[in-house]
Amino acid sequence: MVATRETAAAVRDVEQYKYGFVTDIESDKAPKGLSEDIIRFISAKKNEPEWMLEWRLKAYRYWLTLADEEPTWAKLHFPKIDYQASYYYAAPKREKLASLDEVDPKLLETYKKLGIPLLEQQMLAGVAVDAVFDSVSVATTYKKKLEEMGVIFMPISEALQKHPELVKKYLGSVVPYSDNFYATLNCAVFTDGSFVYIPKGLRCPMELSTYFRINEKNTGQFERTLIIADEGSYVSYLEGCTAPQRDENQLHAAVVELIALDDAEIKYSTVQNWYPGDADGKGGIFNFVTKRGACRGKNSKIMWTQVETGSSITWKYPSCILQGDNSVGEFYSVAITNNRQQADTGTKMIHLGKGTRSKIISKGISAGRADNTYRGLVRMGPKADGARNYTQCDSLLIGDKCGAHTVPYIESRNPTATTEHEATTSKISDDQLFYCLQRGMKQEEAVSLIVNGFCKEVLQTLPMEFAVEAQKLVGISLEGSVG
Amino acid sequence: MNALAILDHSFGETYAKRLGVAPWSGALPGPKVEEWRFTPLRALAKVPFVPAPVDAAIGSIPGNVPTIPGAARLVLVNGAYRKDLSDANLGKGVEISQGKVPAKEGSSLVALNAAYAPASLAVHVSGAAKKIIHIISIGAAASTPAALHPRITVTAENGSAITLVESHVGLPGQAYFSNPVTSITVGEGASVRRYVSVDETNEAFHLATTLVKVSGGGHFEAFHLGLGGALTRQEIRIALTGENAEVRLNGAYALSGHSHHDFTTVMDHQVPHCSSSQVFKGVAGGESRGVYQGRIHVARDAQKTDARQLHKALFLSRGPQIDCKPELEIYADDVQCAHGATTGEIDPNHMFYLAARGIDPDTARRLLIEGFLAESMDDISELAVREQFGAALTAWLARYGTAQP
Repeated sequence: MVATRETAAAVRDVEQYKYGFVTDIESDKAPKGLSEDIIRFISAKKNEPEWMLEWRLKAYRYWLTLADEEPTWAKLHFPKIDYQASYYYAAPKREKLASLDEVDPKLLETYKKLGIPLLEQQMLAGVAVDAVFDSVSVATTYKKKLEEMGVIFMPISEALQKHPELVKKYLGSVVPYSDNFYATLNCAVFTDGSFVYIPKGLRCPMELSTYFRINEKNTGQFERTLIIADEGSYVSYLEGCTAPQRDENQLHAAVVELIALDDAEIKYSTVQNWYPGDADGKGGIFNFVTKRGACRGKNSKIMWTQVETGSSITWKYPSCILQGDNSVGEFYSVAITNNRQQADTGTKMIHLGKGTRSKIISKGISAGRADNTYRGLVRMGPKADGARNYTQCDSLLIGDKCGAHTVPYIESRNPTATTEHEATTSKISDDQLFYCLQRGMKQEEAVSLIVNGFCKEVLQTLPMEFAVEAQKLVGISLEGSVG
Repeated sequence: MNALAILDHSFGETYAKRLGVAPWSGALPGPKVEEWRFTPLRALAKVPFVPAPVDAAIGSIPGNVPTIPGAARLVLVNGAYRKDLSDANLGKGVEISQGKVPAKEGSSLVALNAAYAPASLAVHVSGAAKKIIHIISIGAAASTPAALHPRITVTAENGSAITLVESHVGLPGQAYFSNPVTSITVGEGASVRRYVSVDETNEAFHLATTLVKVSGGGHFEAFHLGLGGALTRQEIRIALTGENAEVRLNGAYALSGHSHHDFTTVMDHQVPHCSSSQVFKGVAGGESRGVYQGRIHVARDAQKTDARQLHKALFLSRGPQIDCKPELEIYADDVQCAHGATTGEIDPNHMFYLAARGIDPDTARRLLIEGFLAESMDDISELAVREQFGAALTAWLARYGTAQP
């Protein structure tokens, strides 16, 4: 019953959108719109090496040829995006900081409201935070400790200065510049993101974490994250997002690349609760994300966990390419849509190596007038002898105005590979609801409790720091969906 | 590529001129059309088809047509109804006529059929039909590749009942393209059972479309068997338009060589209180490709829908590819919908179990494959058909089922 009380408290606790506020910090903006000059500006601003600029320009030129190929296959409806109407570079005024004291107090205040453990006592939580405020990382904590162990954890712009050979070797090796419309755009204009390198044999002692936050009005966020786990290493990475309340749609097209070498393991957890728009679907974030991990080495493992409750549009398919023999890919997802939110999310498991295994657990919850689609691909290559996949997709519908869809693709070219897929769609059972109400719970509390139970399998894979927040979010996201 | 260009004499102006009709202005679906992503038609678009002669001489009905005891046969050759080869006595409750082909809009293949079908064979059912009606469509190309467009319309009046068997076969020789369209209306409280077997020649293209409307309290039971053909697609679109309608749609395919077989189903639940179930099983050997894509659509108000769907495929060798896309699209909350899909090979443990009981590997394999496919055939409520279709599968297994991976 502890969970019940917590959830109930969470539901009561939060009115409307908890993180809907705007911090007023003057930005050092580039002019609106997108052109080669803007890309040169971003690159120059970041003091990037020549090859990086060339790569960006190559991506941009390719992107121009894709004008008619903005993906339309997803079950999403949104007005056409004017890519020239956005700012592609916005940074908080002061950039180089020696210590936390120099951080803009307003910024710290913002983080405080968000509950980011940036100060000393948060060491107890064991979280090192690389906070990204709009597009430039301004503070990195626990850097020293990690540095001593050989972990490289820094903004990718800094990594380009300090470890260009590593970035050059791996950037774009999982998601090439020509991958898809949004990823290509990201390659051209990404401003910052996180870079992580875990050396051979090291088990990273703390959860690495970053908070993304879209702040500057009209600024599309183009984050680029690159995580490399060298042989025998382990890392757990947390990503969480909140965004201020806005009336205009904000564009977000991030790219995340993970690389796991022999015997390495990467655990990547996301809680995404960006502004979903109001009850009529006005405002809200457009979230087009390309996330992909490559299990390059033998016995490597990549695990994606995501809790998607925010954004008005979610287009996101964290995938695993299982190249190394006996490598493992896992995908755990909770996607909650309410009001007019639309989510088209899922995963791809590409089995190439022998004995590769993958597991997909997806829970979709749809309420209000929302649409929630699971779209996934499981592909068994001709050489994936003895590969296995297990997929389970469950959808829950709350109310008769929403939609839940399941679109799995299963392609097998290997007789010794086994694929199993099952999916169900149902509503909250009247019996369960009655049982809770009869014991004095309010309807919303009861729904939150039942939905939390429905998602439990996924939520329990989250690191502790996130699990609590995620549980609360589940309740908050479904506010106003019943009764 | 959303559309495939076709040669002029395949379905173009020359083709239309030969038939003396207005040309079809459509195009074949290209590889970028989502519904055709697993079944490319490039090979088809390249063949210079001419209209198949409607008066082709047929000595006898091909041997791979199942014999259903007591059934009345209706024979179509190259899409045209042949009275000389058909039974005159259809039994009580069934009347046939030849009508104009409705020029209704549909997929491009239905439109192609509408443009070039010679006439529609209309089967009208009132009351309980006494005899099973066995429709046999024969493709017979002469010296050049030919295309045929059979059209069958079945209307089952309110409260009527009928069992239909449909066999699609061909004469050996030239490649042909059969593009049959069958539309079926199941009246209120009516019961229609339809069993289809597609066993075309190894050179044949077969792209069939079935359009079914099931009215309130209606019952529709179907089984589709896919055995031969270079490229076969059986597309079945069923709309449940009246409350308490019930649909059972099953199918099986067995593939060898380079054949490609595609089951595409759309189950459209438009109203509340309906149920549907689908079980599709397939085995693939050689270098074949098996495809199943099924969509269950539950409309906004179709509460209390119960819809289920299952596809299981078994590899018999190293070469094949199996693609599967079971899809749920649900807009009502008080529903029970589920689907499942698996692929894999014969479980070595099962082989071991049988070997330990003294059964030789070939027999064991056949037993296991037969047992695997049987689940989809168990629902065939017409015993004679179940036996005949079962026998066809057994014969197929005797030929192709023993090849070791």
